[in-house]
Amino acid sequence: MAAMIRFDDVAVGDQIPPLSKVVRREDVKAYADASGDQNPLHQDDGFARSVGFPGIIAHGMFSMAHVVRAVTDWVGDPEALKSIEVQFRAVVFMDEILVARAEVASKDEITRRVRLKVWAEVDRAGERVLPIKNSEAEVELA
Amino acid sequence: MPLNQSMKGKEYPAVTVTVERDDVRRFADAIGEENPLFRDPESARGAGHPEQLAPPTFVTRMQILTSAQVVVDQELGLNYAMVVHGEQAYEWRRPVVVGDVLSTVPRIADIYAKKSNEYLVIEAEIKDARGETVVVGRTTLISRGTGEG
Repeated sequence: MAAMIRFDDVAVGDQIPPLSKVVRREDVKAYADASGDQNPLHQDDGFARSVGFPGIIAHGMFSMAHVVRAVTDWVGDPEALKSIEVQFRAVVFMDEILVARAEVASKDEITRRVRLKVWAEVDRAGERVLPIKNSEAEVELA
Repeated sequence: MPLNQSMKGKEYPAVTVTVERDDVRRFADAIGEENPLFRDPESARGAGHPEQLAPPTFVTRMQILTSAQVVVDQELGLNYAMVVHGEQAYEWRRPVVVGDVLSTVPRIADIYAKKSNEYLVIEAEIKDARGETVVVGRTTLISRGTGEG
C-alpha cells in the first residue's frame, strides 16, 4: 500500500500517478456480474451494433471505478475520499487502454480538503478521447 | 415523447442490501482492486476499521437496483433504448464495510431538458441499519432526443 499522502505534501498542479487498464471483454463481463448491471450494450455485440456502436462498450461505472482507484491508491487511506462527481462523455471499446488520471486543482487550508480534477483517457488511433471529463473528486488529508 | 415532468420528487420503494464478503471480493476482483483493506478483514482492523472495507464504488450495486426501478416506471415514459448514463456523483460519510445493511429510498430529484436531450436525476441517500447516512448517490440519466428542442 502506498504511503499516506499528507496535506502539506501536495501542491496545486501536482498530477497523481496514472492508473492504466487494458479493457478486455472478460473484464467487462466480470464487472457486469459484480455490479449487477447486465445491460446487453456491455455484453452483446449484436445489440451494441443495433444501437450504432461497432461492438460492446465498457460500463461508464467501470471507468469511474478505475478513476476512484487511482485516487485511493495515491492517497493511501480510502477513507480520505469524500466525494466524486463525474461526467461520462465518450465510450470505451474492447482492448483499448483506459488511463485514469487526476491533478490537484485546489487546497483548502481550513478544512484540509484537496480538490482534484479527475479524468479518464483513451488513445484511439492517435486521438486522445476522454470517456470521463469535467470531473472532480475531493479528499481530506491529515 | 418528453418525460413526465410531474414525476419530479417521486419516491420509489426502498432498496436494502446486506454487504456480503463474497460480493465485495467479486467487486474488488472486477475492478482490479488489490489494496488489502478491501480484501482482508485483519488488514482492515489493523488500520482501525471495524471490518473489511468495500471499495468506494461498491455502492454502484445499489445504484443499479434503484435506477432499474425508475427506468421501468411506465408513468415516467422513459425509453430505455435511448438512455445513457450521463453523470454520477457519490458523497461518502464513512467507508462501507462487510456486514453493513444498507437501505435507500430512491427519489427523482430533477427532470430537465437541454437542447434535444432530457436529463433525469435520481438521488439515493444510502443509510445504515442505525439510520445514519453512509453515502449519497446522484445518478443523471440522459434520454437522447426526447426533448422538445
